[in-house]
Amino acid sequence: MSKYALFLGCTTPTQTPQYEMSARWICKYFGIEIIDIKDFICCGINQINLSIEAGFLMAATNLALAESKKLDILTLCAACTGALSEATEQLKDQEIRDKINNKLQTIGLEYRGNVKVRHISRVLYEDVGGERIKKGAKKDLSKLRVAPHYGCHYLKPKSAFEGFEEPDNPKSLHQLISAIGARPVNYETLNLCCGGKVFPVSEDLVDSLVQKKLDNLKNKRIDAMVLQCQTCYLMYSDRQKETNKKYGKRHNLPIILYPQLLGLALGADPVKNLGLNLHTISMDKVLEKIT
Amino acid sequence: MFKQPVSSSDFDRNFRSEVVKYPDASGLSACFSCGACTAGCPIHEVFPEYNPRKLAKMVKLGMRKQVLSSPYIWDCATCHNCEQRCPQNVKFYNVLNVLKNMAAKEGHAPFCWIKQTEQVAKTGIVFPTEEKWVKRREELSLPPLKLDGKKAKKIIELSGADKIKAEDSK
Repeated sequence: MSKYALFLGCTTPTQTPQYEMSARWICKYFGIEIIDIKDFICCGINQINLSIEAGFLMAATNLALAESKKLDILTLCAACTGALSEATEQLKDQEIRDKINNKLQTIGLEYRGNVKVRHISRVLYEDVGGERIKKGAKKDLSKLRVAPHYGCHYLKPKSAFEGFEEPDNPKSLHQLISAIGARPVNYETLNLCCGGKVFPVSEDLVDSLVQKKLDNLKNKRIDAMVLQCQTCYLMYSDRQKETNKKYGKRHNLPIILYPQLLGLALGADPVKNLGLNLHTISMDKVLEKIT
Repeated sequence: MFKQPVSSSDFDRNFRSEVVKYPDASGLSACFSCGACTAGCPIHEVFPEYNPRKLAKMVKLGMRKQVLSSPYIWDCATCHNCEQRCPQNVKFYNVLNVLKNMAAKEGHAPFCWIKQTEQVAKTGIVFPTEEKWVKRREELSLPPLKLDGKKAKKIIELSGADKIKAEDSK
């Protein structure tokens, strides 16, 4: 049985608890033990804007906290995954590590370079595996045609992920979707960024990116978009309504996080275990197609 | 912005070396301005004024003032496509971070990032404690969050990010 420190990040526990609920349920289902480390702080990715050092130190703080408990890190957010993975890569260099540890010691921490960072989807893909997922699936999802969306930081920078995926032609989420019998649909803007990281600076930029993807998915008979990051979720879900008003569009595409879709296949309670009632875009049409 | 003719006598010849001395931006020296970064940039596609190749070229020419005061350097969505496309392995996202850090020190950081860093120094995350979500977590039987900004505050002070002030106008 694998054991991880659960890294919630900032947005999931406060804005999209349904992602956390479903992730916890999935981990329990597959016997992945998760430990909550209350001292975890923000991964630091946004602090990089003002100070690369501040962001890097924040990532290193979290790595050191996990290491002190002899645990690897399980992430939910793509951006946290990217930031923490990049930090683990850089901190393999002894010289950089010494420099960082010099500063970390002021908050009583030290990082020795022993932590792995894994996004929940990657754990499902690599450790649990398609066969076990397939075996657990109780429900028929074969009527569902869904559009996968990976999340940029889940794949890039490529150097941070030990060759896990090919960022221009990713496959793991497609396969995770296939494993539960739903049909992953390819589309032209598959790798288009949600814009979430520039949202605090410019809502307009995000809105045009969001609409571009939604326009692309229109008329493709897609039942839902399947994501693995709460920031992407908030952009495509909550901004979908906002941007519809702005652009005079009527997109009404359900947005679901992979652990929720997986939970549905495994027979979890849509409300109690997966929080589907918390979505701003109704999930009813998706649920109707699952038998 | 960026459309006025410039005179080479206004260039700051040291700007390029000032930027590439940061390890994160050292790769910029290899850039030969092919534009693959711009061609693969989702922000450029919806907002053509944002142009990674142009910014890289401006740095190399020494257009210090224009680059650091430009609002465009803050428009990157951080998707890493530029790096993925670059034939010279320039990590433009990292170059941009160096430029942002330099611009921030000179008072050009957008208020949103300053506010966010202040928030992290208080709660350790980018959000304040709000009764709305604290209560919702309780109702959903999710464990309470600790939200202690002490460690984050110390780190931010160590890095000097707490000294960064917003532009007067923002």
